[in-house]
Amino acid sequence: MRVFIPLTLAAAAAVALVSAPASATGVIKCKAGPVSGWKTQDELTKKLTKEGWTVRKSKVDGGCYEVYGTTPEGDRVEAYFHPVTLEKLYVGRRGEVLFRKQGY
Amino acid sequence: MLRIILNKKPTFWLLLAIPALLMLRRYASGDVIAMDMLHPTGEWAARLMIFAMVLSPLVSLLGPKPWLNWLVQRRRALGVAAFAYSVLHLLFYLIDMGNLDDILAEFWALGIWTGWAAMLLFVPLAVTSNDASMRKLKVGWKQLQRLVYPAAVLVLVHWIFIHNNLVPALVHFVPLALLVAARFFLSPKPQPKGA
Repeated sequence: MRVFIPLTLAAAAAVALVSAPASATGVIKCKAGPVSGWKTQDELTKKLTKEGWTVRKSKVDGGCYEVYGTTPEGDRVEAYFHPVTLEKLYVGRRGEVLFRKQGY
Repeated sequence: MLRIILNKKPTFWLLLAIPALLMLRRYASGDVIAMDMLHPTGEWAARLMIFAMVLSPLVSLLGPKPWLNWLVQRRRALGVAAFAYSVLHLLFYLIDMGNLDDILAEFWALGIWTGWAAMLLFVPLAVTSNDASMRKLKVGWKQLQRLVYPAAVLVLVHWIFIHNNLVPALVHFVPLALLVAARFFLSPKPQPKGA
């Protein structure tokens, strides 16, 4: 046990350092220009609600709008939208990418 | 007088409850949603677990110190509080997810099942955090409580992969790992039984 514990912690730290975490946060980047040209988060929420989404929360992440909510299909997801076009760029849940626009 | 109050165990329990009370007040006021409660509850759970875990290594390294002894006498409170915060963490996760389908859909993500597994290990630790269990389990009690080490590894992986960022998790866990390692390498080996 005395050898096992520090070795395990060291191994965990090593694994953590070399493996790239694969969750969504910060993965998508939008180069969308100055914020003055962006549509508002309110507009995005309204658009998505109309399409059948439930939006729990939205914020800016990586220059995109990041939305936590439920898709019209009923999946609890994290999604990214372009702040100028409001185009859907990425949809995923923890551990799984459900949609990713080409080039992003 | 103040000193006497500060040294009372219930005062320490109250102190440990303050972050939870502040968080719950924000949630009750509607300023934040369940999702926003996940990070602070989880961080406090991990923090208190680490706090409880570093005391023994510190005693080994620094020798007996009054302030350390003061904390060691309150280690159970730290451990039980860590469990309480992890229960809050799980509760807000369940509220946030809202249904079983979505919970199962992400269950096998590395950042998720490690959290469940850590929680599972915490249960017997919390349940036996009382004098009656210590008396009943005798030597086995200490062995049982060592489950906190694999639980800590699970918490570390859970934190890194949920947060998608190494830094906050490592800020908390590197000191723990160093202290545990230092205790192992620097402290004198215990004498074999019967020697």
